[in-house]
Amino acid sequence: MSKKSRFKRWLRRQETPEEAEPAETKPEIHEIKHKNPLMEIYDKHYKKLLIIPFSILIIAFIIIGMQYFQTGDFFNKAIDIKGGISITIPTEKIVNADELQNILSPNFKKNEIDIRTLSVAGRQTGIIVDIDIDLNDEANIEKLISLLRKELDLTLQQGEYTITGIGSSLGKSFFRETLVAVLISFLAMSLVVFLYFRIPIPCLAIVLCSFSNIVITLAVVNLIGMRISTAGIAAFLMLIGYSVDTDILLTTIVLKRKEGTILERTIRAMKTGMTMTITTIIALSIALIFTQSDILKQIMTVVLIGCFADIVNTWIQNTGLLRWYLEKHGI
Amino acid sequence: MAFKNILKNVRIWIVIIALIFAVVAIHPVLDSKGAAIRNVIKDSAAEKAGIESPDPNTAPTKREVITSINNQLVNNIQDYEDIIKTLQLNQTVRINTNKGQYVLRTLPLTESIVLNETEWINKTFTEDNQTYTHLVLQNKTETKIIGMQDIGLKVYEAPTSNLRKGLDLQGGTRVLLQPENETSAEDMEIILENMKQRLNVFGLSDVIVKSASDLPVYLGGTGMDFIIVEIAGANEEEVKDLLSQQGKFEAKIANKTVFKGGNDITYVCRSSDCSGIDPTTGCGQNNGEWFCSFRFSISLNPEAAKKQAEATKDLDIVPSETEMRYLSEKLQLFLDDEMVDELNIAEGLKGQAVTEIEISGSGAGITQQAAVLDSLDNMKRLQTILITGSLPVKLNIVKTDSISPTLGKEFIKNSVFFAVLAMIGVALVIVIIYRKLVIAIPILITMISEIVLLLGTASLIGWNLDLAAIAGIIISVGTGVDDQIVITDETLRGEQKAYSLKERIKRAFFIIMAAYFVTVVAMLPLWFAGAGLLKGFALTTIIGVSIGVFITRPAFASLIELLLKE
Repeated sequence: MSKKSRFKRWLRRQETPEEAEPAETKPEIHEIKHKNPLMEIYDKHYKKLLIIPFSILIIAFIIIGMQYFQTGDFFNKAIDIKGGISITIPTEKIVNADELQNILSPNFKKNEIDIRTLSVAGRQTGIIVDIDIDLNDEANIEKLISLLRKELDLTLQQGEYTITGIGSSLGKSFFRETLVAVLISFLAMSLVVFLYFRIPIPCLAIVLCSFSNIVITLAVVNLIGMRISTAGIAAFLMLIGYSVDTDILLTTIVLKRKEGTILERTIRAMKTGMTMTITTIIALSIALIFTQSDILKQIMTVVLIGCFADIVNTWIQNTGLLRWYLEKHGI
Repeated sequence: MAFKNILKNVRIWIVIIALIFAVVAIHPVLDSKGAAIRNVIKDSAAEKAGIESPDPNTAPTKREVITSINNQLVNNIQDYEDIIKTLQLNQTVRINTNKGQYVLRTLPLTESIVLNETEWINKTFTEDNQTYTHLVLQNKTETKIIGMQDIGLKVYEAPTSNLRKGLDLQGGTRVLLQPENETSAEDMEIILENMKQRLNVFGLSDVIVKSASDLPVYLGGTGMDFIIVEIAGANEEEVKDLLSQQGKFEAKIANKTVFKGGNDITYVCRSSDCSGIDPTTGCGQNNGEWFCSFRFSISLNPEAAKKQAEATKDLDIVPSETEMRYLSEKLQLFLDDEMVDELNIAEGLKGQAVTEIEISGSGAGITQQAAVLDSLDNMKRLQTILITGSLPVKLNIVKTDSISPTLGKEFIKNSVFFAVLAMIGVALVIVIIYRKLVIAIPILITMISEIVLLLGTASLIGWNLDLAAIAGIIISVGTGVDDQIVITDETLRGEQKAYSLKERIKRAFFIIMAAYFVTVVAMLPLWFAGAGLLKGFALTTIIGVSIGVFITRPAFASLIELLLKE
C-alpha cells in the first residue's frame, strides 16, 4: 500500500461513517486575494516565513553554545543543583542586594554568594541568600547567620527564616535525574503523538515544535541571567505538556477536517489556539506578579517564555511544515 | 428553560454530587478556635496528666484542640502562649479540650550539683533473697530548683479544614538521609523501622518517615535509596539533634548493663528456623483468651556473654508451677535510656557464658489467630529494638529543608489572592474574545469546581499540599481552560453545519484526549526522579487533569450545548 493511499484511508477512518460526506466541501484550489497584507504573506509565502522560527532556533543554539563555552554548563545552575545552602529571610526592610553581597563576600572568600530580593507586586517581601557552603558545615552557617543578623538588624531566631541545604553530589544526581525525566517525558510525548496521528511528517513537525520551544526558552532564560533549579527543570516538563496542546489542535483540525481550505482551517485552529495561549499568558503573568514563592516564580517564568516561543513555533513553523507536506502530497 | 434542562443533565449532576463529596471531605470549619495539640513531650506535666500525642493519621479537623486553660478561653495560639506565661510553679492547671478535661500540676525544673563534700547515707541492697542495709559514703549532691518546666505541649493554630498543609506552607523541617553504603531492601526496612521506633520514643507524632529511591541506574539515575524524615513545626536544630543521637540500646540485669546494641549483638535471627511461634509451648487458652509464645535467638560476642554469666551467677531461681523456671531478676531492655521490654531469664542460663541466647515473649488475643498475630508483632518489635542499637549503616544528612512558619502563612493568604485574580483575568479575556458573557460563566464555574474537586481528593487521600502541589493545581486548571476553549470553539465556531452538535463535541474530545495523554505521560517520569521529592507535583497534575477530562469537561460540554441551544 502506498503511503498516500494509507493516509487517505486514515483520513476516512477519522470521519464518522454514519455521517454523510459533507457535500461539496472539497475546495478547488484557486488564487485568493487577501485584504490583509499580513494574511497575504502568511498565505502565499509560508515557506519563506519558515526562515523566522528556524533563525530564532539557530540564534538560541548559539546563545546556549556561548553559555556552554563560557561557563562549562548549558545554563546557570541554582544552588540546589550546585550544592550549598539557601536562606530566605522574610523582611520588608529595603535591602540593597549588591551592598550586602559586598559585605558578605570578604568573609566567604572561597565561596560564591548570590543575593536576590523577593517581591510581590513590586513590594519587597524578603531576601534570598544562596551560598555554596556544605550543609553540615555548622560553623560557617552560624557565621553567615550572625553576619546577616548584624547587617540586617533582625533577630533571625531559628524558625524566623527558611534554610535549605543540599549536598553537592546529591544536587548533581538530582539534576541529572530531572534531565533524564525531561528526556523521557519528551520521548513519551513523541510516542503518544505518533500513536495518535500515525503519519510521520506531521508528527515530526509537532515534536520539532516542542523541541524548539524548549531550546528557545532555555536561551531566553540564559539571557535574563536566571539560575535554574530543579523546579525550573520541572517547569520544562510543564512546557512540553502546554505547548503540544496547540500543535495537536492545529494538526487535528488541518488534517482531520474537510471543510474549507488548509488556510481556512489553519486560521480556525489559530483562533482557538491563540485564545488558549492568551488566557494562559494572562493567568501566568498575574500569578508571576503576585506570587511570593521563588520556586513558583521560576516555574511561571519558564512557562511564560515558552508560551511566547510557542506562538511562533506553532503558527509559523508547525503550520508551514504541515502545509508544505499536505500540498506536496496534493491533499 | 435552559436552567430546567441543566438540572435534567446527568453529567452536570455527576459534578454536583462530586462537589458535595469534595466539600464534605475538605470539611471547612468556619469558626475554628483554640490551639490544636501537635505533640506531647515525654515525662512532661501534660503527659503525666494523661494528654496523648495525636495519631498522625487522624484527619486534621478531628485533632484534639485546647479550648480553655483555667477557665480562660483559648481562641488561638497567642492566647495559649499568653496564659502559659502566667503559670506558676506547682500550680494546678485545668485544661479543657474538645475531647475532655485534664488536670495537671506544673513541675519544677531542677539541676543537681555534686558538692565537694561527702556524706553517709543508708543504702539498701538485695542479695540471696535477703535485704541488707549499709551505710555508704558518697558525694553530697544538692538539687536546686531553677525554674518551672514547660508543661510539655506543642500546639498549632486549630485546623480550619481537612487539607493537610505540607512543610512549605506550615513550616517545619525535612531531612534527607542517605546510607553511607549500598543497602539491601531488608536493611532499608530495618532502618525505617528503627527511625520510626526512635521518633516514637521521643514522643513526636507529626512525623513522616519514608524511604525513597532515585531513578534506577539504567535510566540514568543513581538508583540510590534515601530516607526522608519530615517533622512539621520543628526547626532544623531540633531535628538534627534528634537524628544525631545514636540509637542506644542496653540490656540490663539488676541495673547492671549486660550487653549493648551494636557490637555486643552479633546477630539477630529473623528467619523461620530460629524465630517465630515457639514450637514447644505454642499457644494455649486461659479464661477465654488465647496466649501464644514466640522465641528467636540472638548471638552475643564472647565478652558480652561473660558479662551475662557474671550478672546471673548469683541470682536465685524463682519457684514456679509450670515446667519453666526463671531467675529472680529480669533482663530489661532499654532504648535511649527508656525501658521498652522486660524478659524472664531461663534457669539454665544462670552463670553460663553462652553466646547464643533465646529470647522469648508472648502475645494475647481473643482468637488463636489473633494471639499468633499479636505475638509475631511483639516479636518483630523486639527484634527491631535489638537491631536498632546497631543500624546496619551510617546515615549521612544530604539535604535539609527548614521552612519558617511565617513564610508559609503569608504564602497561603497570597496564593488565594492571586488565584482569584488569575481567574478573573482569564474570565475577562474570554468575555473580550467571545463578546458573550454567557461563555465566561461556565468557564469560571468549571475552574472553581476543578480546584474544589482537587482539594477534596487531597483531603480524602490525606496528601500534603505544598508548593509543588500548588504548581500542579495551576497546570490542571490551566489545561482545563484550554480544553474548555477547544470545546467552546468546536461547538460555537463550527462552520461545519453538516455536523450535529454532538458530533462537534465528539471532535473536540478527540483533541482534548490527545492533550490529556501527553500531559500524563510527560508527568510520569517525575514520579521517580529526584528521590520522589517532585512526586506531589506529578501526582496533583495527573489527578487534576484526570478529574478535568472525566468529570468536569463532559459537564462543561453539556452546559455549553444547553446554553447554545437557546
